[in-house]
Amino acid sequence: MTEDVIQLLLGQHGQIRDLFTRVQEADGRDRRDAFAELVRLLAVHETAEEQVVHPLARRAIDAGAPLVDDRLAEERQAKELLSRLESMGADHEDFLPLLAELRASVLLHAHHEEQYEFPYLRHSCNEKELRGLAVMVRAAERVAPTHPHPGVETGVENLAAGPALALFDRVKDAVSKAISTDDRTAG
Amino acid sequence: MTFNPLEQRGIPLDRQLRNWRELNVEPTDPDHADPYTRCRIIALNGIEVEALLFSHQFARHCADLDVKRQLAEVRYIEQQQQKVVNWLLPAPASALETTIAYEQVAVDLTAWVARMEPDPYLKQAYQFGVLEDFDHLYRYANLYEMIQRRKAERIVDGLTEVIPGRPTKYHHRHPHDNVREPYDKTTAAPISKLHALTIMSAEQQTMNFYMNVGPEYMEPIARQLYQEIGLIEEEHVTHYESLVDPGETWWERLVNHEYNECYLYHSFMETESDPRIRAIWELHLNMELEHLHVACDLMRAHDDREPEEVLAPELPAPVTFEPNKAYLRELLDTQIDLTTLGTGYVREAHERFERMQENIHGGAEPPSEQVIDLHREQYGTDYRLETEGEHPAPELRQQVKR
Repeated sequence: MTEDVIQLLLGQHGQIRDLFTRVQEADGRDRRDAFAELVRLLAVHETAEEQVVHPLARRAIDAGAPLVDDRLAEERQAKELLSRLESMGADHEDFLPLLAELRASVLLHAHHEEQYEFPYLRHSCNEKELRGLAVMVRAAERVAPTHPHPGVETGVENLAAGPALALFDRVKDAVSKAISTDDRTAG
Repeated sequence: MTFNPLEQRGIPLDRQLRNWRELNVEPTDPDHADPYTRCRIIALNGIEVEALLFSHQFARHCADLDVKRQLAEVRYIEQQQQKVVNWLLPAPASALETTIAYEQVAVDLTAWVARMEPDPYLKQAYQFGVLEDFDHLYRYANLYEMIQRRKAERIVDGLTEVIPGRPTKYHHRHPHDNVREPYDKTTAAPISKLHALTIMSAEQQTMNFYMNVGPEYMEPIARQLYQEIGLIEEEHVTHYESLVDPGETWWERLVNHEYNECYLYHSFMETESDPRIRAIWELHLNMELEHLHVACDLMRAHDDREPEEVLAPELPAPVTFEPNKAYLRELLDTQIDLTTLGTGYVREAHERFERMQENIHGGAEPPSEQVIDLHREQYGTDYRLETEGEHPAPELRQQVKR
């Protein structure tokens, strides 16, 4: 199956949505593990959007710049919520209400992209270009760290050893680096 | 517990108007709400929309200004009810997710009505129709995974199976064969009249929905599938509306509409799992009771008849959303190859059916087949949710691409 970058991101929207449900329905260690997985996927996904899709949308969509600015503001807001969740920890009594807030903001953000960005992008970019970008994002995703702290395998230790948000930043760094390297090779 | 709406009083009409704050309801959650809560929202929206359209038609055929004013006053409140009900739909959600929920409503509501319907001819009409809605659910679920990269089981939540029904390409019948015989208003059981109105309303809103959201999609297969299934909704509205006796007077029809609204709000108040939503059904029931009284007074004044002559003495058993898996599998086993001829049903593809099929398909596979082929190309197989084992019809079992 040759997917294009929009299909790839749509698939991730679905996975993120379902992961939120998993975190909300789990407790203890399962919740911490599911949350770490969610953080990683959000990092990969947001980086791909920031580095690949939004710059393209800015250029390719008529009046794309303000549209992208709105999406970036939403991403910043989500990042702040994520940071607060991270510092409180998955066992804190306020974790679930705050997670619900993050979920609402992420789902709305995804909905805006699906309504106002992706269809126009598909209209104004050619399919080959969109498929090429998907390959780039997939490659970047593969080099992203999978655990908050390399070598530490369990959720409990992860949380003690390295905060999920540090993982977020490291995943973002790795994905950005991979994407920009690819960019240079491609260009 | 018996409930006779004619003996109950609700909220006085002049106290039913809601302000903007009261109209501004919270939507339900797309991933945590009971799927059958969403089904009840959709079913009631269909009922409210039918009430509005009926009232407008009535007003256009009515010369009496006082009656027109009364209709307008109740209708304005019903518009507010529609705004509250439909604004409860889960958000954020895509039109395709709502579409899949519409088909879940069509499947489980029609199956329930078919099970409860006492008249064999009417029962057959519902059994025939439900196998088509069931197949639409399967086609849209395949589209959903392809364009939204997510599985429809997240939406129907295992309550309704997603497997082929009567294949959609065979739903395109000559319009002549979509017209059924009506029930006889003088002998039909009151429940039969309510069933016909309910299913007609549900199919009508599905028809309206597809004709409006279809063109908003950019993906060619999505646009085409909405056109194809949208045209079948036209057939279904024709099929179900022809069941209603056209000899009912406008007053009688108005009373039946209001009574049916009471019936459904009462049913859903009895069966709703979400307390916040249940309170809304209860509020609306208390509004509908007064709308029913207005309608009854109009009937007495203009039709010179007592509404009790045409209505049930108490509300029938509540309309219930529940899984109908075994019932649907039994229908798949026995009625999948039916089509219609005149006002009846036959197994063989007759000449008028064949001609319609040739003309509409134009020698090509219709979108409902293409969507499955495209899914097989991308994923190796079609999308299904089979919770009760393999398909009862051997020719409709899943093929895996080698």
